[in-house]
Amino acid sequence: MLGISPSMALRFEVLARHNRARASRLTLPHYEALTPLFMPVGTQGTIKGLTNDQLEDLDCQIILGNTYHLALRPGADLLDTIGGLHKFMNWPRALLTDSGGFQMVSLLHLADITEEGVTFQSPVDGKPMLLTPEDSIQIQNKIGADIIMALDDVVKTTTTGPRVEEAMYRTLRWIDRCIAAHSRPHEQNLFGIVQGGLDPQLRDICLEGLVARNLPGYAIGGLAGGEGKDAFWRVVAQCTAGLPEDKPRYVMGIGFPLDIVVCTALGADMYDCVYPTRTARFGSALVSEGVLRLTHAAMATDYRPLDSSCTCMVCKRYTRAYLHTLVTKEAMGSQLVSYHNISHMMQLSRNLHSSILEGRFPEFVQSFLQKQFPKGDVPDWVCNAMDVAGIDISMCRIPQSA
Amino acid sequence: MNWPRALLTDSGGFQMVSLLHLADITEEGVTFQSPVDGKPMLLTPEDSIQIQNKIGADIIMALDDVVKTTTTGPRVEEAMYRTLRWIDRCIAAHSRPHEQNLFGIVQGGLDPQLRDICLEGLVARNLPGYAIGGLAGGEGKDAFWRVVAQCTAGLPEDKPRYVMGIGFPLDIVVCTALGADMYDCVYPTRTARFGSALVSEGVLRLTHAAMATDYRPLDSSCTCMVCKRYTRAYLHTLVTKEAMGSQLVSYHNISHMMQLSRNLHSSILEGRFPEFVQSFLQKQFPKGDVPDWVCNAMDVAGIDISMCRIPQSA
Repeated sequence: MLGISPSMALRFEVLARHNRARASRLTLPHYEALTPLFMPVGTQGTIKGLTNDQLEDLDCQIILGNTYHLALRPGADLLDTIGGLHKFMNWPRALLTDSGGFQMVSLLHLADITEEGVTFQSPVDGKPMLLTPEDSIQIQNKIGADIIMALDDVVKTTTTGPRVEEAMYRTLRWIDRCIAAHSRPHEQNLFGIVQGGLDPQLRDICLEGLVARNLPGYAIGGLAGGEGKDAFWRVVAQCTAGLPEDKPRYVMGIGFPLDIVVCTALGADMYDCVYPTRTARFGSALVSEGVLRLTHAAMATDYRPLDSSCTCMVCKRYTRAYLHTLVTKEAMGSQLVSYHNISHMMQLSRNLHSSILEGRFPEFVQSFLQKQFPKGDVPDWVCNAMDVAGIDISMCRIPQSA
Repeated sequence: MNWPRALLTDSGGFQMVSLLHLADITEEGVTFQSPVDGKPMLLTPEDSIQIQNKIGADIIMALDDVVKTTTTGPRVEEAMYRTLRWIDRCIAAHSRPHEQNLFGIVQGGLDPQLRDICLEGLVARNLPGYAIGGLAGGEGKDAFWRVVAQCTAGLPEDKPRYVMGIGFPLDIVVCTALGADMYDCVYPTRTARFGSALVSEGVLRLTHAAMATDYRPLDSSCTCMVCKRYTRAYLHTLVTKEAMGSQLVSYHNISHMMQLSRNLHSSILEGRFPEFVQSFLQKQFPKGDVPDWVCNAMDVAGIDISMCRIPQSA
């Protein structure tokens, strides 16, 4: 059964390609964004540690808000009254909200999925509550984000057996309920989420069903949950191959720079993850070579900036030694490293977009891998994925002895 | 820390006494239990100055024997005389007098005679600047302003005067009227973390339920980044729940204090200090209930605030 074709509130133009990789312009109601892009997660309308001015300085284009948290505080009705989350947090660029389902399942006790929706215990008073696809979309309509996510039946990636198939078919049934409940299709873009676990046949069925609904955009869900990297890239590759060329593709929950580079090579456009800010709070900075653990004793007398190639405020102003004294002890440590890490992700986004646009994507990937793996020990899964993506990285890899 | 402007370090003594168990003052110095391994340790005036010489701040503070303002009896006198003996040890230990300014701290509790002796002793040492210590510790406001007035009257005209631990805008305005120049306090940032914003009218408690639907900025007369960008309603959702709440309200509160500093300087410079004080008091006390201690202090300061005050019924 085909759903009615919902209107789109976005324009997606692919500006350049390299094999499967795309550099595009994504025009949303509140902002004209360039992809590939990383979206920092703002949970409750704020990225921990960063002001709106700083987010703009860092060139953040789309911020993600968690519907579950926003519905609790400040509440959907309050947001509706004031005219949406954009106005409430005074964020002039784009917003994306998730459906609320994932938080419920991962955060709450006794969360249970039925055909009706997600039943859970209210964190406020312990009473049983229900979030249906209709509820999720209604709340998201009140929050007012440029992109809203369908409520999907998501299972842990490590799940096997009939539950995976059940979840995939339910996700298809729920997308129709989401489409029907969506009251603002000309202002907000409802993205469908491809499920099906690690099973290619299930993924195919889900892809076909969602593509037939002619949605404005699509997400690849159910990954970043403990699956092996080999399974991970293969699912991404299958999904990007099966999704329409002319619509944005969003891999949910991806934040490691290496994963983002691989997924981009395979044809994805958008990513989100708490990783950059969360790892900052544990004292880890993202740098060209990988991850710098600021808590390490050697940092105490290291007077270099975090990353010699970074031009962000933190790298211009503070040394590793100074940050070493702050991290895990002072809130300022989290703040400064978060700022740098988000800057790093935004720079990565710009590099991906411009290298594809300017026809030098393979060179960028090679340079990236050489910095991350100076000894040439690029993991097998990356090599296999780059094979499929048609990017030659042989110069990055020194054959490892068996 | 890559801070290109000025720094001031305290002596370390106050924190020890207020934060550590079994801290004890003797003629030698402050004995305390090391917070690292519990072993007994000693901070002498020489130690304090040596550490401050290494930190390198523009202004360094003498190690003083400070007692709680509410203390009475011989301990107050003992502490005042010890402070004078210690200032000489601090001066002798100071290895960088051409780069760092050692300020002496006037002690003596709430006793005018003890304060006088301390003032005389410190002024005779011809230090670059002076602090008025031992206040902001629970004393009544009436006693507080009188000690400040006495000290500013007894300190040299041509040297800076620093009232330690003062942060309420009202206290700063009064002390300025009485002749003080510098102030420090954790109050603006600490109160921010509890969800309180400093505004022209006083203190805005952002945790209050009414804030949930108040879409105005914190302070309509404030031009800081937070007031330009965020509403009370938004901050209400953050304070005491999200670190961002503390960050944003701290930013505003510090902006408020810096604006107050600029206003004090420029109103005096431009010959309109009384008008500034009057306007300040009218915003803080719109019903005219300016406290007695403020009125008494302004009397001594020679500032007419009669228009700010509506006589209260007895």
